[in-house]
Amino acid sequence: MKSVFYLLDSAPYGSEKAFGALNAAAVSLAGMRVTLGLYGDGVYLAVAGQESKKLGVPNLSDILYSYGELRVLVHEPSLIERGLFGETFIETLELADEEDFLEEMESFECVVLF
Amino acid sequence: MKTLTIVLTDGPYISEYAEIACKLADSALEQYQVNIFLYLDAVHIPKKGQTPSFFTSAGELFTGLAEKGAVIRACARCAAARGYIAEEENENGSNCRDYLPGIKISSLYELAEMLKKSDRVISLPR
Repeated sequence: MKSVFYLLDSAPYGSEKAFGALNAAAVSLAGMRVTLGLYGDGVYLAVAGQESKKLGVPNLSDILYSYGELRVLVHEPSLIERGLFGETFIETLELADEEDFLEEMESFECVVLF
Repeated sequence: MKTLTIVLTDGPYISEYAEIACKLADSALEQYQVNIFLYLDAVHIPKKGQTPSFFTSAGELFTGLAEKGAVIRACARCAAARGYIAEEENENGSNCRDYLPGIKISSLYELAEMLKKSDRVISLPR
């Protein structure tokens, strides 16, 4: 396979899933077309100004900034449903409506869920 | 021969996914090379000494798959975080003394390599 879409629908700091998805996406960048899709509670990862020091876990937005070549697509309806649409987002991310998000997912050879 | 990769992220017993993956892999082995990548809590699946009272031992199911030719690898970072340490490969075909035969700890980069070589990918997260 030459392309993989990682789909994250879990909140960034409640479990290891977001950290795991980011790492898996990062190692796949060598030789594959990779997109990380944020859906459902996964869209909380898109919000700028994350501070995780007190949680004792890595700041996941720093990882996103470190892998600027990783395409990250944010499901806009999930943002709206959570009242996040007015927030400031990490600049490198792209928003997509339902149709575009699905179209992007369908263009990949495989989808790995987190 | 075509290649199927299964990605697991759940530990054993908390969900049916380990058992489902095992059934899928067992059938697929008839016509596919099967790879299984154990990520996050799934690195607990191959632990030795599991004695569940009411379930089939997930570890025994997976070591059986390895015997049949499935390539089963566990993420090194996830494994180390949970106390499973990679060492020299032993006579059982594992590189972890706490793991059942045939299942090895390897780098996360191996997940990317498995995906690249695959014709089909199944991920089973909870």
